[in-house]
Amino acid sequence: MIRSIAAALMAMAVCAVAMAEQTPSPPNAYVYIGWPNDGEVLYSGRPFRVWFGLRHMGVAPKGVNMPNTGHHHLIIDSDLPPLDEEIPSDRNHIHFGAGQTETMLELPPGRHTLQLLMADYNHMPHNPPIYSKKITITVK
Amino acid sequence: MLARLAAIVGVLLLSGTGPILAADLTPAPKNAKVYIIWPPDGAVIQGGKLWVRMGLRNAGVAPKGVDQPNVGHHHLLVDTDLPPLDEEIPSDRNHLHFGGGQTEARLEDLAPGRHTLQLLLGDNDHTPHDPPIYSERITITVPPY
Repeated sequence: MIRSIAAALMAMAVCAVAMAEQTPSPPNAYVYIGWPNDGEVLYSGRPFRVWFGLRHMGVAPKGVNMPNTGHHHLIIDSDLPPLDEEIPSDRNHIHFGAGQTETMLELPPGRHTLQLLMADYNHMPHNPPIYSKKITITVK
Repeated sequence: MLARLAAIVGVLLLSGTGPILAADLTPAPKNAKVYIIWPPDGAVIQGGKLWVRMGLRNAGVAPKGVDQPNVGHHHLLVDTDLPPLDEEIPSDRNHLHFGGGQTEARLEDLAPGRHTLQLLLGDNDHTPHDPPIYSERITITVPPY
């Protein structure tokens, strides 16, 4: 019994540490996709520019631990990843750890979704997480 | 001879406080370009309040004091010409610093009339890069309110 209480307390402590490690979000922080617009129709073979909008907070490259900053991650054709873990880095989760605020994309024909998610210097989402609306575009 | 050399070294050391030597300027990232995403040149802004969206290509944003290659932070010049490009950018109501790495600027108190906006990127020390990275200067109009 005592052992299981101890185990439960340990688990709670580990949980609390994990939560405490997430960087707090700046108040009113707001991230959005400046362009393209939701529903935009684009043409294949023509790379297009996506610009990242951010209000009430600043951009800092990965590894820079300063309050009220983060860096952009663009999620393509995927749902939000777990919001209490490091954001994966693959073709569906593009990191902009150099502090970039826009990118060029070229996607195959079809419907695609785009969403922005901010992360702290460790690529961890803030608490509460700061993410944009998920938009859908069509490439013809 | 030695005295003269010492004098030259002394001058070089002292010059750290004056205009920054070209060699001290942070090299500009290749093809870096800063531009005003919004408002467009010629925009009419009712009420004199707006968000200016600051765009940057081929470089990254970093807060002041972050000394990394290929980054800088935005400075918005309001109703003024470019300052000297080999010195720290002034900080006053005509030269707004975004040392927190912000990419949007809220302007709240533009008086009715014509105003100019221009972006100038600064390095970790608020000094322009070499060559300097600045946007086109645009003009906006605030109608009487």
